[in-house]
Amino acid sequence: MRPHVKLAALALAAFLAAVAAQAATAAECETDRTIDIAEMGWPSAAALARVHAVILAKGYGCRVALVPGDTVPTLAAMVAKGEPALAPELWPNASKEAWEKGLAAGKVVDLGPAIAEGLVQGWYIPTYVAEANPGLRSVEDLPRYWQLFKDPDDPGKGRFVSCPPGWACEIMDANFFKAYGLGDTFNLFSPGSAGALDATIAQAFLRREPIVFYYWGPTAMMGRFPMTRLEMAPFDEAKFACIGDAACANPEKTDFVVPDAVKAAASWLPQEAPTVVEYLRKASLTNAEIGRILAWGEENKADAEAVAENFLRTEEAIWTGWVPAEIAAAVTAGLD
Amino acid sequence: MFPELFDTAPLRRAIDDGLDWLIATWGEGFEAAASPLQWTLNTIEQGLLALPWWALIAILTGLALLATRKPALPLVVAAAMLFLGVLGLWEDAIKTMALMLTATLGTIVVAIPLGVAMSGSALLRRVLTPVLDLMQTMPSFVYLIPAVMVFGPGRVPAVLATMIYAAPPLMRLTDLGLRLVDPDVLEAGWSFGMTRGQRLLKIQVPLALPTIFAGINQATMMSLSMVVIASMIGAGGLGYQVLQGIGRLEVSRGLLAGLGIVALAIVFDRVTQAFGRRLQQRLGVTDFKP
Repeated sequence: MRPHVKLAALALAAFLAAVAAQAATAAECETDRTIDIAEMGWPSAAALARVHAVILAKGYGCRVALVPGDTVPTLAAMVAKGEPALAPELWPNASKEAWEKGLAAGKVVDLGPAIAEGLVQGWYIPTYVAEANPGLRSVEDLPRYWQLFKDPDDPGKGRFVSCPPGWACEIMDANFFKAYGLGDTFNLFSPGSAGALDATIAQAFLRREPIVFYYWGPTAMMGRFPMTRLEMAPFDEAKFACIGDAACANPEKTDFVVPDAVKAAASWLPQEAPTVVEYLRKASLTNAEIGRILAWGEENKADAEAVAENFLRTEEAIWTGWVPAEIAAAVTAGLD
Repeated sequence: MFPELFDTAPLRRAIDDGLDWLIATWGEGFEAAASPLQWTLNTIEQGLLALPWWALIAILTGLALLATRKPALPLVVAAAMLFLGVLGLWEDAIKTMALMLTATLGTIVVAIPLGVAMSGSALLRRVLTPVLDLMQTMPSFVYLIPAVMVFGPGRVPAVLATMIYAAPPLMRLTDLGLRLVDPDVLEAGWSFGMTRGQRLLKIQVPLALPTIFAGINQATMMSLSMVVIASMIGAGGLGYQVLQGIGRLEVSRGLLAGLGIVALAIVFDRVTQAFGRRLQQRLGVTDFKP
């Protein structure tokens, strides 16, 4: 063979091999629609969104798109339009009414827990404050300790750092605030955004200053800064229902509900792509696993995409259990 | 893809750790340095909130009347303020106004002297111009969140961020206004034996006042446009209502608060512009349009 013919044959062979490899790795997706995945602003949800995106694209051969999301607007859009198709970590309690309506109307489906156990939310103080003030153990004790948490904008009262506007906990905090009669000694302060909330907490911890704030876990913040939960009155479902309602006329003392975080999908997804949904139902992490994943991201200054890639590369024991062996192989092949 | 020349993670970690160290060691110092701002803000806000609503409307309408001596603007101002009151945005509007006034005051205190210095030194101008470009183009969230970590959440970092955003046009216009003063007039001053300071205060500044006033007007408007962003770090006021509207999908709340910001903008823009024009007429200087 003359050299250039040889070269052409070689190129053709390489091309065919590539096509064959393509066929072997990517399965045919069950749906033609693009599966748009809501990537929420907080790290665990963002990482989960990226993990699902890779597995659906490389393993199941689906067209996926990541769209930025947040609890309330994402759920509203999913109920109204079926888009985004998937929210990998949705806190239904944060938008309870919309969630239940959507479920009842068959617009969204619950694909089971995203994080299996160990979810917490509540009012927290730094552990060094709890140790220095043994008398401050519950929300009921706060009025006696308001001077610890002086509000620089209004030094005659303490400052309680609540949630950014639009979060369900913003309403709950306001109602708990009333229920526990904190209005005389504290101001309810909204940090305005998730970034500002974290920055506020980080500032207090770095300077070892007192702060009382709402937080939830598992989160990187909770792993980084040791915090102690303030006790509340025993949980009561009826009272808590009122706490979650912006129009609650007479909030009463109770505790936060133990939160759950689910995978929510638009109802067309299980209809059109049952095997994909079968995978999604299985994909669930524990608190410890999420904590490990987020700690790696924090340590390596990695973004959600890199965190997801690292998870897929290093934690095969976890995720290969969610998918059939050939899909797992395709995902692993697709990573390189 | 651009080849990865080195791993940026250690660099980023160094920056983050550096900031953490700064906050842990110098945090109190920063907070003390910002206390005049906090004090000014608290005073202005408490003062405005202590005024009965009709008194505030009367003062602003009076200012508008003083500036134009015609009924049109005072009527617009009164209508805009009544609009805020009727829609239940009064308190939020006052908070926003206090924030904006403090930021504008702070901007004037910092930017005009720097602008004067820039007009006098070509070197300083060459150094500061790129800094001003950076201040105007850097996305504000980049420095908002570190500002929260340094100064604590709330209105102080909001005022500082607003000042960073609003100062460049005032500095540029002050510098420009002073340099545009006719050299012949300056030479006349020189020949009469005026000192440098006399020439600045008695010739340059008065003649540049309309331009400087245009800068103040710009700074006021830019402060107002930072209102929504500033409320993302806990500044409260009308911007917070907008954020709540977005977060809870209450379009109405966001819309009304947005219109409230527009109403405030109209009041302050028109009143400062009218004062600027009045100043020009009094001084008999030609109109300058930046």
